[in-house]
Amino acid sequence: MKKLSVLLLVLLLAGAMFAQGTKESSAFKVYLITMDQMDQHWVNVDKGAQKAAQELGGIEYKWLAPDVKDDAKQIESINNAVAGGADAILLAANGPNAVTAALKEATEAGVTIVYVDSAANFPAVQTLATDNTAAGTTAGKEMLKALTDKGIKNGKIGVISVNSATASTVARETGFRKAFEGTAFTILETQYCDGDAARSKDMSANFITQGVVGLFGANEGSTVGVGNAIAEAGKNIIGVGFDKSDMILSLIKSGHLLATMAQNPDVMGYEGVKTAYKALKGETVSPDYFDTGVSVLTKATL
Amino acid sequence: MTHARLITRSCTAMEGPYIVEMEHISKTFPGVKALDDVRFRLRSGEVMALLGENGAGKSTLVKILSGVYTRDSGSIKLFGQEIQGDLKPHQAQQLGISIIHQELNMCSHLTVEQNIFLGHEQAPLSLLDNRSMRKKAKHVLDSLHMDIDPDTVVGDLPVSKQQMVEIAKALQAQAKILIMDEPTSALTSVEINQLFTLIKELREKGCGIIYISHRLEELQHIVDTVTIMRDGKFILETPFRDLSMNRIIANMVGREIKEKFPRVITPRGKKVLEVRNLKAGNLVRDISLDVYAGEILGLAGLMGAGRTETTRAIFGIDAKEEGSIVVDGKLLSIKCPEDAIREGLVLAPEDRKKDGLCTKLSIRENIALPNLDQLCNRLGIVNRKKELAMVDKVVQDLKVKLASPEVNASSLSGGNQQKVVVGKWLARNSRVVIFDEPTRGIDVASKVEIYQLMNQLKQEGIAVMFVSSEMPEILGIADRIVVMCDGRITGSLLQEEATQEKILEMATRFENKLATQIG
Amino acid sequence: MMSALKRPLKRLLAIRGIGQVLTVTVGLILLCIVFGIMNPIFFSSRNVANLLRQIAPILLIGIGQSYVLITGNIDLSIGSVVGMSTMISATLMTKGVSPLFAVLITIICCLALGLSNGLLVSFAKLPPFIATLGTMTIARGIAQIANNNYNTDSIGESAQSFRDFFYYGKTLGLYNTIWIAILLWIVFNFLLTRTKSGRHIYAIGSNAEAARLSGVNIVGTTTKAYLVSAFVSCVVGLITTATSGMGTMDAGNSYELYAVAASVIGGVSTLGGQGLLFGTVIGASIWGVLQNGLQFAGAPVAIRNIVIGIIVVVSVLLDVIVRSGKMTKKKPV
Repeated sequence: MKKLSVLLLVLLLAGAMFAQGTKESSAFKVYLITMDQMDQHWVNVDKGAQKAAQELGGIEYKWLAPDVKDDAKQIESINNAVAGGADAILLAANGPNAVTAALKEATEAGVTIVYVDSAANFPAVQTLATDNTAAGTTAGKEMLKALTDKGIKNGKIGVISVNSATASTVARETGFRKAFEGTAFTILETQYCDGDAARSKDMSANFITQGVVGLFGANEGSTVGVGNAIAEAGKNIIGVGFDKSDMILSLIKSGHLLATMAQNPDVMGYEGVKTAYKALKGETVSPDYFDTGVSVLTKATL
Repeated sequence: MTHARLITRSCTAMEGPYIVEMEHISKTFPGVKALDDVRFRLRSGEVMALLGENGAGKSTLVKILSGVYTRDSGSIKLFGQEIQGDLKPHQAQQLGISIIHQELNMCSHLTVEQNIFLGHEQAPLSLLDNRSMRKKAKHVLDSLHMDIDPDTVVGDLPVSKQQMVEIAKALQAQAKILIMDEPTSALTSVEINQLFTLIKELREKGCGIIYISHRLEELQHIVDTVTIMRDGKFILETPFRDLSMNRIIANMVGREIKEKFPRVITPRGKKVLEVRNLKAGNLVRDISLDVYAGEILGLAGLMGAGRTETTRAIFGIDAKEEGSIVVDGKLLSIKCPEDAIREGLVLAPEDRKKDGLCTKLSIRENIALPNLDQLCNRLGIVNRKKELAMVDKVVQDLKVKLASPEVNASSLSGGNQQKVVVGKWLARNSRVVIFDEPTRGIDVASKVEIYQLMNQLKQEGIAVMFVSSEMPEILGIADRIVVMCDGRITGSLLQEEATQEKILEMATRFENKLATQIG
Repeated sequence: MMSALKRPLKRLLAIRGIGQVLTVTVGLILLCIVFGIMNPIFFSSRNVANLLRQIAPILLIGIGQSYVLITGNIDLSIGSVVGMSTMISATLMTKGVSPLFAVLITIICCLALGLSNGLLVSFAKLPPFIATLGTMTIARGIAQIANNNYNTDSIGESAQSFRDFFYYGKTLGLYNTIWIAILLWIVFNFLLTRTKSGRHIYAIGSNAEAARLSGVNIVGTTTKAYLVSAFVSCVVGLITTATSGMGTMDAGNSYELYAVAASVIGGVSTLGGQGLLFGTVIGASIWGVLQNGLQFAGAPVAIRNIVIGIIVVVSVLLDVIVRSGKMTKKKPV
């Protein structure tokens, strides 16, 4: 028994040395670790990353992700990546502090860290994510433009958001309100629907009764409700929202929603790989924060 | 089929054939033989009083008759038909057996009519026929001479009327065998008269009625026959007119007292506890008693007489409306047990495991618990040395048998548990120790140890009072006996002059609510 | 003529619990007046129509929760069943199943959950809080996996008749949703007040032991109450699908608590045995009016939550203090 275990140990060490050896070879090993494997959002990050890896060449790329969003599983993925000889990890951290210990070990092993979509409380080369506040302002600007094009200079605007705690939607609302600063429009008290499209619809309908000229939804559920309410009211209200889904796209096609802000996960993957490549080559990377922005989807762009 | 037609309308109705025949009925519960080869019979048109002390087995017997319990052995014949196997409650109901419990069994949110028909509503195609049910309810209430609107919500009625509604419910269900458990305890005298008139009418219709009551004075108005039980055994069955009240009582208690009790005689000292005019709810109505140093006072009476409630009122668990408590000449203000404990007045409660001990804590912690003020320093930290010394002393003094003070209190035997319950008080120089059913559920050998403990306290000049439902025990250990009935003290006896009969007679001295004799 | 009115009027006033119902009805009217004064748009025909349609789902879940509360139990799974219902129906329709079949399958699934609730509580004798907490989690899980952890696509143009039937269409001037709520209320109120099972539901809540000894089938009656609750939650889920045109996994969040609020404000006792379904109508209306009116009043969400919370706490306090004081105190002889 003892002889067998010594043999295994020797084989493991050899394997590890081999792995080390391959590290010195030309291709950089880049791993993408997301929160889970199912969400379309991550699938798109992976697509973007693959594209960049192909274009750049000299990159061995792999997508690792737990099957469900789970801190322990994400830590395991990080450790597996390090053990597998990763040169760089593109990470969408589950939470700010959940995986920092694993990241520390990875960095000590010489791995470069790049954040995509969500950062953790640990220094990395760059974070590529949606600047929600800026996205909100973009949405606001779209609405403002549409209103002024129609000759409407003032009036009430309604906002439907998720709740007062979710950072991303709160940031979007803040950005939206910024776009209307200094204008003659009044933004009414925000209503929260908890992401429930049906409740959002009721609240939007109430806003419409109050005579709003524009409605803003801060996430998918809110936006669907806004669109449905505008459709039922049959009035010419400008509706702008967030996220992409089949329902939202059909509401845009039918003209009930003006536009929706869709995140750009593919850009995160694409630019993320490019950043990792630059860092591994020893070049300086800037800025620290890369806003991957939102695509404005309207009837015209569909 | 039935000879019920033979009943004539005379003062004492002539009874029909046997509708209940129970022979050789035995029933054992874990640890206690509730019924031992009991015989019971009832004829149609007969009112049978079922008498016996608490624990005689009356309740168990009628529960077997109504199907709630199953008999271990023996036979039951109802209306001449032998019951094969277990009698189910549903079966008993269908055969016309109804019990009216002492504890009311009503849905207080529902109306009188809804309660009367509960479980057998008239509902063709599931739709309630309210009109018909309301009419029938009114009819049955009228037959009871009750002027109650069937749409009254039961919860709004006084308890006496609620009891009548329960009776109405049994009547509506066409009861042929009606069991009534203490039916008059909640009724006013007018209602009692109405009830007795009703009982007579039912009797004439051929109904068989089993009447359980401790109010022996009332029996003469309606009872035909008497069955007496004692300690789970059948004693006798005889026509009521053949018995005097004294003979009834004698038969209820007439056991030979074989046990010897280790009573010691101590000279009586000064008065320690003086209770005057204590009032606390329905069961403590103007109680006054004294306990002297070097004396054991026994508090006797039937279940529900108010003895436990009296001890709780003295100890401060229940709020008292009136009354004074004086210990060693000092008038005390007791609003909660803490006050009582501080003045040296302590209680070992009836339910040892629930109220006397923290069963999940160790023996040491239990003994220390009410004495932490003596064991802690100013910061509230327990002085381990003092604690262990206290525990050791208690264990030694009371000869508690244990492996170590760290074991859970629940692992001790009943007798040793009781010693811990009392022991924790003894560390405090108590002046009055009250025991409520001190030897319940304890084996014979341990009982003796508890009696010796009580004697020990007596000899130390502590005033001891104990509540007990076991006659022999009271007669054997107490120096003086006070008897309670229905919340009042009905008698007081010295040990030398006390007998079981005298005690039971005092314990059944209910207020006679019936103003006039009924012929 | 007056004396002919007097008897039924007297009987009406003697109904247990009518006092609270009348009080909250007055409260509702006052509330409407206050909101109307604060913002007259509140009374506009457009808003009244919307408001009634917003009250309808709350009334429906209120009916279910009231049934269960009257038996002395509680149903915490209501909100999750709404979510499960909307996700199952929407997923099926996006996959091409006809709306009719989708509705039937959804109803069967929800009733199965209601049956589980009933059996867990009455047969397995689990505390209702724990049992329905468990089924709440299960139902929410089913809602999530129904479409593989995504919200569904649009149920499409072909489902327009479905959407009209449950939400967008009007009949005789009122939205269909309102009619659905009214008709179901009539049915369930009838079942509760005029059938044997209905009476048994009150009996169990009042004194389960007395009911059992009188021959009432505890398991059957309790299960019926939970089935009603599951059914109305299912209907609300279908309404939700129709409203949004898709299924959201988060639908119905916290609805069970709104259902308790509507019931308790309307006079249904959380201690069981008492409550009028008409009270639930008022309770649901008060809830809906608050949600609607406070939005028009421009109240920030924090204030709104506090106001609503206070009203619920006060209603439950009144319930517990008044009811338990009355019921457990034995009247003197």
